[in-house]
Formats: sequence, structure tokens, C-alpha cells
Amino acid sequence: MAAIKKLSDELSNKIAAGEVVERPASIVKELIENAIDANSTRIDIQIEEGGLSKIRVVDNGSGMEKEDAKIAFLRHATSKIQTEKDLFKIATLGFRGEALPSIAAVSNLELETGTGQDAGTLIRYQGGKRITFASAKGRKGTEITVRDLFFNTPARLKYLKTINTEIGNISDIVNRLALANPSISFRLSHNDRQLLFTNGNGDIQAVLAGIYGRQTASQFLKINNQSMDYKVEGYVAKPEINRASRQYISTFINGRYVRHYPLVKAIENAYHTLLPIGRHPLVVLHIQMDPVLIDVNVHPAKLEVRISKEKELLNIIEEAIRTQLTQVTLIPDVDQSRTKRQVTEQVPLHFEQRTASSERPEDYPVSQQFYDTSVSTSAQQREPLQNVTKESSPAVSSEQEYNSYQDDSETFDDELTNSPGVEQSTQDRVPTLEPIGQMHGTYILTQNEKGLYIIDQHAAQERIYYEFYRDKIGETNSQTQDLIIPLTLELSPEEDMIVQSYQKELAEVGVFLEPFGYRTYRVTTYPAWFPSGEEESTIRELLEQLMLDKKISISKLREDAAILMSCKAAIKANRHLREDEMISLIESLRKCDIPFTCPHGRPIIIHFSSYDMEKMFKRIM
Amino acid sequence: MHFVIQREQFVHSVQHVNKAVSSRTTIPILTGIKIDTSSEGVTLTGSDSDISIESFIPKTDEENEYVDIKETGSIVLQARFFADIVKKLPGDEIEISVQDQFATTLRSGSVVFNLNGLDPEEYPRLPKLEENQTFSLPQNLLKDMIRQTVFAVSTQETRPVLTGVNFENDKEQLTCTATDSHRLAMRTVATETDNDELSISNVVIPGKSLSELRQILEDTNDHVQIVVTDSQVLFKFKHLLFFSRLLDGKYPVTNNMIPEQSKTTMELSTKDLLHSLERALLLSKEAKNNVINFKTLEGSVIEINSVSAEVGKVTEKITCQSLEGEDLRISFNGKNIIDALKVIDSEFVHITFTGAMSPFVIRPGDHNQMLHLFSPVRTY
Repeated sequence: MAAIKKLSDELSNKIAAGEVVERPASIVKELIENAIDANSTRIDIQIEEGGLSKIRVVDNGSGMEKEDAKIAFLRHATSKIQTEKDLFKIATLGFRGEALPSIAAVSNLELETGTGQDAGTLIRYQGGKRITFASAKGRKGTEITVRDLFFNTPARLKYLKTINTEIGNISDIVNRLALANPSISFRLSHNDRQLLFTNGNGDIQAVLAGIYGRQTASQFLKINNQSMDYKVEGYVAKPEINRASRQYISTFINGRYVRHYPLVKAIENAYHTLLPIGRHPLVVLHIQMDPVLIDVNVHPAKLEVRISKEKELLNIIEEAIRTQLTQVTLIPDVDQSRTKRQVTEQVPLHFEQRTASSERPEDYPVSQQFYDTSVSTSAQQREPLQNVTKESSPAVSSEQEYNSYQDDSETFDDELTNSPGVEQSTQDRVPTLEPIGQMHGTYILTQNEKGLYIIDQHAAQERIYYEFYRDKIGETNSQTQDLIIPLTLELSPEEDMIVQSYQKELAEVGVFLEPFGYRTYRVTTYPAWFPSGEEESTIRELLEQLMLDKKISISKLREDAAILMSCKAAIKANRHLREDEMISLIESLRKCDIPFTCPHGRPIIIHFSSYDMEKMFKRIM
Repeated sequence: MHFVIQREQFVHSVQHVNKAVSSRTTIPILTGIKIDTSSEGVTLTGSDSDISIESFIPKTDEENEYVDIKETGSIVLQARFFADIVKKLPGDEIEISVQDQFATTLRSGSVVFNLNGLDPEEYPRLPKLEENQTFSLPQNLLKDMIRQTVFAVSTQETRPVLTGVNFENDKEQLTCTATDSHRLAMRTVATETDNDELSISNVVIPGKSLSELRQILEDTNDHVQIVVTDSQVLFKFKHLLFFSRLLDGKYPVTNNMIPEQSKTTMELSTKDLLHSLERALLLSKEAKNNVINFKTLEGSVIEINSVSAEVGKVTEKITCQSLEGEDLRISFNGKNIIDALKVIDSEFVHITFTGAMSPFVIRPGDHNQMLHLFSPVRTY
């Protein structure tokens, strides 16, 4: 008797279900994706008991004809691709034709569908067996109800976590799909409690508001960038809003949610030094590209992808985010909870602190020169130490006015803040601040017309020095140190490949590896800048960098060293600062590229607005 | 600017002003030493956020010629390098000249250093003080006063005024007080001033400034003149000016903190107590709290012990010269007591307790011009 048999459909569906239908959330995902592929504009998801007792997805999409509905439950039955050629330019979310039969195999499933013309169709499956096939009312759209999930696969049932975990996963997926499809209205409810509602008006920020609340959503910045092959747009949160996991980075390629590590890395690179260690940004990123450039058929869950010209894509993503983050003022406000209101106020005149000394002409031209700190601080210093005089003179800077107007317009008005051509010059990003005093020898209290700003003196100087050393440390000279006893390096096959293909790059930084047997190299001389005692590990780090980035950047390699140096050089907490020292520090900080976080990502400046203060003191209720 | 100077004199001056230069500052020019030459001599200046030191080397004094000034002028040179360079120059004389763009040349023997200088115009000016509150003290006395109090200042900027030593005077005496709110050191000296107008109160000099000053003060009877204003204090030496800022804020009233009565008093050898506490501290340091237990026994004997849960315990008995009053068990921070005992020059110390929960006082056995107050550690 033949030992090998073709498995029954029922059994093979059950096996496939293991891959596709891992947990309730995966069912929700498959069903919603089907609804989206059916061009729905409204999708209603009702969950009970974490999806175990009921998952119902109702859409207003195109629906299915009677015959189609029947075939849909066969494996590899799909309307989404027709020929092999289609597989390489997939524009729909689903295409493998596995979802429905897989779900039907492990639950009691009821499908009611109609195209809106003829009578609809009602199909019931129980554990993979069709038990009903009948007509139903002819509503346009599809309604699928999945009950008693995993009733026939007890092992899988046992593996499920608590209701809260499952609903967390479901809401995660629905959030992502909502972000991916801002023009579809989603409603998610669990045990009749509404968890998410989006109005489907096409505005991603409105979806963000539905997920994170209006307050948080207003802290997102719009980004966009494009190249010949790619178009990138989305929203990124200001660094002050961050999370402990990468969960909140959502990347979509052609509307499909993907989890692709290089994309996440590009995003995190853009946030480099803006976030504390172990914190991650909130990002929604939509990437549009020709489907030919992407292969999504890597895994049934379609989370992983292969992208051609990936490097180009990563570059434009990083650039888009970085440009936006380096343009806006990132000083966190203290009280975020207040309600946003439309503010109308007269545009204020800007008063630059005058640091006048008698030798200086009084009639400064109104221009950047006004912020030339080498002039102002030196003038300041010529005053006797004990009585640093302060006077203010009105200086009207039209650009500043405009920016301050932007700061005050607390709306979702992104067209204004992000419109090209309106770039805040770096110096304007930290406003003019007048020191009030120092607290605990650690924080500088400063004020301007917008309220109180508190600066962490150590963090501030750390940032100033970091930007100095970061560039400095990359400038290495061409001196090399010879070794009396050569170093031998045994390399892995990948490293060996790297050494062979990047001889030139290595030689440029003074690293010469002489072949010395199988996958072994001899080093007789190394660059003088190598940290002593770490010659071998530095070479290996260089190779690793080449492997990842295909180029050598010494400043990047030695960034940790730069951070350490800046930390050591900076004034510490618990140190008294004279007023002219505070002024000098603030002025240097204003000249930094990113004056808002220290190299470890901690904030430098905190802002209490006058409104916050008035509220705290109940001057306004 | 161009001059030739005696190396020894110059090194001495540079080392003095270098004390005021801090490597960490937010104003880059302050990492430098300023050199001014006039027809009278050479002036060096160093400054940081607390202190400024100006040292003057005259062209000549009675016996010697120190400087040959060829051209007057000013320059600021990076202190970090400059101080080390002049120390290591080989010749007896140093020739310094400044060319365009603040390029500075140092010559000594056959050595030539070319240094990039900084614009002296950017260097802050030293304050000009009004000299109506002025008094003077012998250098060695001031040095002692600083030594005997400054260790007790707070190192935390959380209460800035406690990081300094408070100077106050009345008709007969000048009092220095330092406290970090766990211990207090107080030193008084009789003032011999002809200035009846002198009234100093709440003059709080940063402890860091005093520690630097202490290194400049010499063990001589020569007087140093002290000028006090609202925000600055100036110590005037023959060829050196030492400025320090004063701390803002009201120094706490400390007189009424010193208990007048006592319940237990004892007198014992300073050295015996010091050494015993040092031994006990070996273990309590391990426990990181420096707590030492102290109790009186029969017959003028006290017992000192300390316990570290991980390491073990130590017990020691000391016989006192005298021991009167109630029996006592008390715990205290041994480190603080040791600090104080080290600055008490008398052979015996006099300790007065007013119960285990109250502060206690240590005074030198042979005079009444110094006092150290400590709060006990409570165990519960």
C-alpha cells in the first residue's frame, strides 16, 4: 500500500492555517485586507472576547457573485492575480488566495455577500466543511463573521495570550491599516466599546488623532521627499514624543504594511542623537513605488519585502525626516494637556538683547549680524565682571516675526509650517533668551516674551562640544604607526569578501591588510589615530561598517569617542555660572545644528509658556 | 608687546594666576592667561566664574631687575599650554614677543615656541572695588582660619549660600562659619583694626575660592589686606590681587544653634580619639554611611564601635582625661568628626553632649576660638 498520500483539502487547509491564521489579529488583518481590496470605503470591525468568540468585519465593498463566493473558499483561489506575470507587480494586499479557506478551517465562519444587483449569498462553514449555501439579502458589500476560533485546534487555542493581549494585537493591526488607508473609514469596537474611529477623509493626521489623540497628533511633522523611483510621505513625531519600542514605526509600501529592518534603521538614523537611548520614534511612512521594484512574496504574512535600489530609498527617507527635524523648533512644552484654541494676537516685535558697549555703534543694521555672537559676547566681556549691564533695544526681524507667528498658530496648519521656502534659520530655532538665574548650579532659568525656558547647562554644552568633536574626530592625519610584531587577523568569509572588494577605501584611511594565508591577513602598520590597544577591534569595526554602509566614515566610527569627549569637556552640573557665562552658553547653543537634545538624546531646553504659568497659578481657569 | 623676564619670577606668577583658570568654561577666552606689560612691569591675569587673580612682576625692586620691557602691550595665551611651557623652559630668562594676529613667540635658551594667542580685548576686565570696608590679617592667621573652617562647607549647589564660609565681625572679633547643615565649623579671631567703621556681615566667600587662596597664602606674619564690597571680596598682597565673588543669599543664623547647656562633658586626647575614629571608619566606610557608635562606660572610659554587616565589627575603648554627667549612647558620622579633629591643633579636645538626639560640640582643650558642631545620626 502506498505510504504517501495526497492530503485531503481539509487537512492541508488546516496546515496552511498555521501560517496565515496565527492568532485572532491575523484573521482581522486578512479580512480587512480583503475588504480593502474590494474597494470598500467603510469597514466596521466588531470583536468579542479578544476575537475568540466573535470577529465580524462588515464592509461596503464590491461584494461577490454567488459562484465567486463559493470558489473563494478553495485554496489558492483569488481574483487578485491572474497570471504569473501579475505576481511581479502586485498592487493588491492579498494575492495568495489562502486566507479564507485557512480561516474557515479553524472556526465557524459565516459569509454574507452581495454585489448590490442580484440577491446576495450566505455561506456557512464549520471547521472547514460547508454547511450552508443559500441566498440572502442583496446588500452591496461583504459581511464575514468568524465564531469559535480555533475550536478544533486546541493546541493553538492554548497558545493564545490573554484577551487584553489579543485585543492589543488586533487594535495594532487595525491602527496600521487605518494609517495605510486614510480614505477608508474604520470603526473598531471590542465588546461594544469603540476603540478606534476614523472618518476616512484621506487625512493621515486625522487618523493619527483617532489613534493617539488630537494632542499627540498635533506633535507630528509632515514629511515628503521623492526620487525618480520613489515617493515618500508621512508624518513623524517630534522627538519629545517617543516610545520604548519600535512598534510605533509604521512603514507602508504601496499601501501595504511592511516590517523591513533597513527602513526602520533609516528612520532611526534620522533621529540620531535626538532620542534617549532605548527610545524610539512614532512614525508613519508611506512609500509609493512601481510594484516591479518590490518583491512581497517572501512570507505568507507579507511583512517582509525585497526592494530593488534600496539604498536610494533609504537615503531619501533619512533625508526627508532629517530635513524636517532640523528645521523646526523642538523645545518641549511642559503642559501638553491644555486644549488647543485658535489664537489671534498681534504679531509681537522682537527684542534682541542688546549687549552694547560704548565703542560699538548703536545703529546695528537689522540682519544676521545682530546674532553675531562673537561680536556681542566680546562686547559683553569688556564690561567689568561684576556689573554686566543689560539693556534691550527693539530690533525688528521680519523673519523672526514670521516664525514666532508660526509658533503661536496652534493649529494643524501644516501647509504653513511646512511650505517650502519657509525655513527657520538655525539661530531662530532657539529663541533669544535672557538669563534669570541658575538653579542648584545645574539649570539655567531664562525668559523671553513666550515664557520660561529651563536649560540643562551640562547637556547644552555637551551638544556644543559634540558638534565640534564630531567633525574634528573624523579629520585624521595620514600618519601610521608601524608594528614590530605584526598583527594577524583571521576573518570570516564575509569579512574576507569585504577586504577584497574595498582595498582602496581601506588604504585611504591607512589600513593595509596583506594576505597571509587562507582568510588570514597581516597588519604591519596601522593609522596613528587608532585608539591604543584596540587596533584589531577597530579594524574589525571598519570592516563591519563597510559591510553595512559600503563606505567608511571615521567620524561615525568614532562617534562614541566624540560623545565621551564632549561629555568630559563640558561643564558639569553643580557648578555656579556667572551671568556672562550663561549668556555665552546660550549664544553658543543657538549656533548648534540641533540645539534641542544632548548627544545621548536627552532634552536640553524645556519651555513653560506664560499661559502654562498663568494656568498653574489659576490666574486663568 | 615685547619683553624679557626672569624665568623663576615669571613661573611663580604664572602658577599663581593659573589657579584661577578653569579648563571647563562657557567663555573660551577664560581658558587663557592674560599678560599685560606697562612701563612699570608685567601683569598676569587668570579668571574663572568664582575668582580672578592678578599677579604683578615689577620691573625692578631694591636689589634685582626682573623685566626688561622693550615694547608694551597685551596678549592672552592658552593657560593649559602656557603654564607647562614656561615651567619647562631651560634658560634663566624668557623672551616673549607678540607679532601680528596675536602670534606669540617664546624664547628661552635655544628653545623657540610659537603660540597662537587670543585677542586681549575680549578678555573681561577685573572689577574695580570701592575700598571703604577694609581690614587686614596676618597671612598665617588667615590661612589657619580657612583651613579650620573651609572643609565644612557644602559641596552641593542645591543651597548655594552653604557652599561658602561666612565672615562676620563685631567690636572685638571676626568670626568665620562654615556648615553643610550636618556639621558646622566656627573660628573666631580678635581683630586689631583702626577702622571703627568696619562692619562685615553676611560676607559669604565660596569655599572653592578660599581653598585656592589658601595655597597662595604664605606662613608669614605679613599682613594681607581684605577689601569687601556687596558682591566681591579682594585680598591684596604685595604683588598679587585675589578677587572672589561673594555668594548671594542670606547665610543662616548659626549662633543660636550652639547648645549652651550640656548633660555630658568629657576631655580626651585629640590624637587618641582621631586614631580610634580612623580605625572605626575602616569598617563603616564599607557600609557607606560612615556611622560610628559612641558610648560612655564606667570610670571615664568611652567605647567606640562600628559595624559593617558584610565585613564585621570593631570595638575600642579610650580612657578620657575627664568624663562627667549622664551616661550616653550616640551615633554620628565619623568622617565629619575626623575632618574637624584634623584641624584642631590642641593636644586635648573638649566635647559637650546634650543627649543622644541633640547636636554636640567639640572645642579645642586650650582655647575658646574654635568650635565644631555636629548633628547626631539617629538609629531607629
